[in-house]
Amino acid sequence: MNTEAPVMNDAHQGSPIRERDLQPQERFEDELIMHLERDQFVAETSRPVPRVALSARATAGLWALRVFVVLVSLMVIYTFIDQLH
Amino acid sequence: MATTEAAASAGLLLPPVTAEDTARSQDRSRVHHARGHSKRWRLLWLLVGPGILAMLGENDGPSMIAYASDGAQYGLGFFVPFIPVLFAMAFVCQEMCMRVGAVTHRGYGELVLQRFGRAWGWFGAGDLALTNLVTLVAEFISIRVGLAYFHLGAGVAVTLGLVLVLFTLSGGRYWRWERIVLGLALFNGLFLLAAILVKPHVGALVSSLAFSPFPGGSFNTLLLLLASTIGATVTPWMIFFQQSASADKGMTPRDVAHGRYDTAVGAVLAAIFGVGALIAGAALLTHGGSGIQGFAGAGFPQALGHVAGSAAGGVFALGLIEAGAVAILTISASTAYAAGECVGVSHSFNNSPRNATVFYAANVGVALLAALVILIPGAPLLSIALNANVLATVLLPVGLVLMVMLANDKGLMGPWANKRSTNAIGVAVIAFVGLCGAAYGIDSFLLSVHLIGS
Repeated sequence: MNTEAPVMNDAHQGSPIRERDLQPQERFEDELIMHLERDQFVAETSRPVPRVALSARATAGLWALRVFVVLVSLMVIYTFIDQLH
Repeated sequence: MATTEAAASAGLLLPPVTAEDTARSQDRSRVHHARGHSKRWRLLWLLVGPGILAMLGENDGPSMIAYASDGAQYGLGFFVPFIPVLFAMAFVCQEMCMRVGAVTHRGYGELVLQRFGRAWGWFGAGDLALTNLVTLVAEFISIRVGLAYFHLGAGVAVTLGLVLVLFTLSGGRYWRWERIVLGLALFNGLFLLAAILVKPHVGALVSSLAFSPFPGGSFNTLLLLLASTIGATVTPWMIFFQQSASADKGMTPRDVAHGRYDTAVGAVLAAIFGVGALIAGAALLTHGGSGIQGFAGAGFPQALGHVAGSAAGGVFALGLIEAGAVAILTISASTAYAAGECVGVSHSFNNSPRNATVFYAANVGVALLAALVILIPGAPLLSIALNANVLATVLLPVGLVLMVMLANDKGLMGPWANKRSTNAIGVAVIAFVGLCGAAYGIDSFLLSVHLIGS
């Protein structure tokens, strides 16, 4: 078991606690973080997932749907404004 | 998906720990303890939240008004079985959101942006910002309508909504926010109480289960009913919210089964309470749907009060206040998640306002903007409220397609990717939603420009 304590970034910043008081708190937090999966850490989730290469057909289909949805939305907004008058 | 303990024993260096990690790990330690000691009900209690909130959050002011209007104009037939069918559709979509959030620990906005490119991410965020703003305006209107029954004005509605947003954000913990909003959301059951108070005819309720009579009226009215009722059950904000909230809660693949229970319970409760609003509204059927025209004032609860007694009217009014308030909290949260994810900064209730400025600013800012709209004298509040659901239905298909693509992405999801049967149902839901929304949009437009007659 690797006993190296994790680096605490901002949890203790600026707290003037003496070392002997800090140790139980650190131990408690070390135990706590064992309940997180490695890929749940903010440091891990901040790392972007790689972009997937969509096929030309999928890209064309998505764009077609996008344009269609925008056109229909404009129709709904036009009807909404028209009904106000 | 190795736990940190496994990583540590393998000699791997642990990633740096932030305050957000520490807060989330406290919640996870309770889950581990309950699981380790086979405390099944405690485990369920700890893991429910995002699903119930997404479903009951969608039983918002405009939705309940839409259900009650359906009942007032068309009676119980068709809609009593139709509402549960729609929530079954919502379950299929929301289960995918929960699963993707639990497996990837990332929100919908950031996954779309990173996986499919910035354009798709920003398109989704743009759709969400537009529909959320319009819907939030409708939520404040709903609170205003409910309060008007008790002779309170728009100023009180705005203050109540904004104070609630600020109060729930004050703790700096996801768990606290979730439990407060869950507590409020259970008061959605007021619509069931309103239904009981109008003393519905049991025989009529049972016979309505045969999807008949089919609503009459013009083709455009039927399309409007379908589009607004669909928009009352599945919307873009729900997709963003449940995936991001599942990740923020710290759910993992081991929790997917409980996430499904959570989503299913939410869908069942939302369907029951939605049908409650429909039954309450149906009490106005024999009075020609009177009262709904006065929506911008206190029309619906007052009309119900005249027909079914002041208790029914009062309970319905309280229900509208609750529905609007809960939706303001969940919809503002979905906007905040999307803003943080797309900008690429911290987006968690487990972080402090100082470290997650964009998240908290978006949460309060969008609610404040919507609140200001309802204070504008002469603003077309009735039209805004009625069109909020329709706009959500029209914009929904793109979001759902991207969600299905994410849930099928083996690189992200591994063994938790969609099964073939889930895809078949998902595609059918998208086709149905897309067709209804597009048919209404095109038909209404052609009527407006007089290219076709009504």
